[in-house]
Amino acid sequence: MSPSNSLTGSAESNPPLSSRKLVIAASERVLITGATGFIGSRVVQALFRFGFRDLVCLARSTSDRSRLDAVERPADARLKVVTGNLLSPKDCAAAAAGAAAIIHLAAGGSDKSYPDAFMNCVITTRNLLEAGLQAGCLRRFVNISSFAVYSNREKQGRLLDESSPMESRPELRDAYCFAKIKQDELVADYGRRGGFSHVIVRPGSVYGPGKGGIPSRIGIDTFGLFLHLGGGNRIPFTYVDNCAEAIVLAGLSAGVEGEVFNVVDDDLPSSSKFLRLYKRRVKDFSSVYMPHWASYIFCWAWERYSDWSEGQLPPVFNRRRWHALWKSSRYSNEKLKTRVGWSPTVATPEGLDRYFESCRKRDALA
Amino acid sequence: MLKVAIVGCGKIADAHASQIQRIEACELVGVCDRELLLARQLYERFPVKAYFNDVAQLLTEARPDVVHITTPPQSHFELAMLCLEWGCHIYVEKPFTLFAEDAGKIIARAQAKNLKVTVGHDAQFSPATRRMRKLVASGYLGDRVVQIESYYCYELGRAGYASALLGDKNHWVRKLPGKLLQNVISHGVARIAEFLSSDAPQVIAHGFTSPLLKSMGEDELIDELRVIIAEEEGAAGYFTFSSQMRPPLHELRVYGTENGLVLDPDQETLIKIRGTRFKSYLEKFAPPAIFAGQNLHNLASNLRAFLANDFHMTAGMKFLIEAFYNSIRQDAPVPIPYREILLTARVMDAIFAQLDRQLQPARVE
Repeated sequence: MSPSNSLTGSAESNPPLSSRKLVIAASERVLITGATGFIGSRVVQALFRFGFRDLVCLARSTSDRSRLDAVERPADARLKVVTGNLLSPKDCAAAAAGAAAIIHLAAGGSDKSYPDAFMNCVITTRNLLEAGLQAGCLRRFVNISSFAVYSNREKQGRLLDESSPMESRPELRDAYCFAKIKQDELVADYGRRGGFSHVIVRPGSVYGPGKGGIPSRIGIDTFGLFLHLGGGNRIPFTYVDNCAEAIVLAGLSAGVEGEVFNVVDDDLPSSSKFLRLYKRRVKDFSSVYMPHWASYIFCWAWERYSDWSEGQLPPVFNRRRWHALWKSSRYSNEKLKTRVGWSPTVATPEGLDRYFESCRKRDALA
Repeated sequence: MLKVAIVGCGKIADAHASQIQRIEACELVGVCDRELLLARQLYERFPVKAYFNDVAQLLTEARPDVVHITTPPQSHFELAMLCLEWGCHIYVEKPFTLFAEDAGKIIARAQAKNLKVTVGHDAQFSPATRRMRKLVASGYLGDRVVQIESYYCYELGRAGYASALLGDKNHWVRKLPGKLLQNVISHGVARIAEFLSSDAPQVIAHGFTSPLLKSMGEDELIDELRVIIAEEEGAAGYFTFSSQMRPPLHELRVYGTENGLVLDPDQETLIKIRGTRFKSYLEKFAPPAIFAGQNLHNLASNLRAFLANDFHMTAGMKFLIEAFYNSIRQDAPVPIPYREILLTARVMDAIFAQLDRQLQPARVE
């Protein structure tokens, strides 16, 4: 039987947490991939806050480690950085040695090149899963997936939650969607084979200080002019610290083996509201609103032309992508709240304040 | 129906599969990669009959007529020889082989078995390049080529491939004898080789690591290269590879005894340069007007091709594959002469030998 540990709400900003069963003890080792990244570094911070003391991070030799270096470490904590590449089974084995849990955030590759995205999502994950199996002490594999895997084309009521179907033809949408679906399938397959349990966490649009740009769910500036495509849609934002805590709680809780958790905050702003605030708080720029019917026709026409011309223009705009990004949807964090007791510790207005302030400072320095 | 297989399912294999499915009377009977998951993802996205992680199994079960070898160059020679032994024609991605000697062995073996070979110098068949070749064949340059200048630049900071290479000290490109250069310069060198008449030109190479790469702690990769390729009494070629030069040109300038041509494969433009001068002040006004007219003609030509749905980014690859398949079906000459493949390989050998030894100019043998 797996040892368990009680997590008693040691996160500073998290409301008092009821005792909960975890699949590993706080003294056991956790491997985090992608720990130098925007979300990964906050996950490391969250793990420390929740009392974990033995963390190993796998980072490329060329990774900028400034985010990880900025993490506050408790005096009794151990944070080891293993330099390596997830495409190397040997590096994965070195990193996974002794890990009781792996939180796999690293994802690279292009969203245009399928082999590139596949290599950096699927092959890397397979290497890590194999390394975990070989190490012999892994009990939980936490895969950080994405909302990109969902399709709500047929969904009644337009509620996008964990019960929504996956994209049935991801190869027709984009490389990232294809690779992330294959990654999730691979993790679930290894989970079914036994040896360790898995949990899949799918964050929405993660934002916060340190992340630049406007999410493509709101609009695109591909054609030299910002096209506002989101309109009145709610954007499935999750503030980076809220997301990190959700990853730790959902990922390491007992009793949720094989389950999927979506991460979105409460009080989600509409695309129009976000854009209005961004222009007011960060910088003003011209944008043109494209109504949903117009963006749908545009995607349909682009897709048809791409098909007819045998790819003279690649199908970067297509109806499947429109449904995923620009169709009006509702989101739910009910499962995360009821099953693992998560709640966002940074409210959306405060998160947006922090985000806009960091964007403003970044632009001032540029 | 020509039965086609792809060995190596990385990034470039996608381009091959995309173009193969646009060509009539051929079918993808199998794809193969040592990494089975990679082979399967290609199989799932294209109309392919089967996928494998063992080449021998692919050759045995799928029985292809043609094999496209799109693996890293270290395996080209071994795979090419194996496919030839199985009676398959081969399309080998660039660089053809690691060494010219291996290139010679492949071509000799193919000829002995009456099989055909080509190399993935698809940039040689872009629409503007084909227009250039027609003009050259019509005698526009004069009775012989005097000077060839080939620029092949590379933006290290932009491409995903480059960042993967810079971030991985064990990347397969680093294990090539000529490292980064070996993987990218053959397109530019082949453009010069096409116009050389000698099989043993003199090669003088100078290469170094750019200050930018050095500042990133890189001391292994050479990303700046200048080469003179000279024939004793024939043409002289200058080849430039640069990661720092802006704009990052891929230009070819060819000058003959009568006229010159400037080819820009990025913009798909071809500009004719008159060999004679206008009199007096006309030389100041007539040529700019002529160039403006030529640029408009290039614009019209590109627009026409786009509207006719014949202006794909990989148009050169489709043309080369189709021409290669036709040469197989009709037992006609291959689209890239073997002499050009071998000469490109020899010039590259000479460049890397000099960069390794930093010795005096060497003559290719």
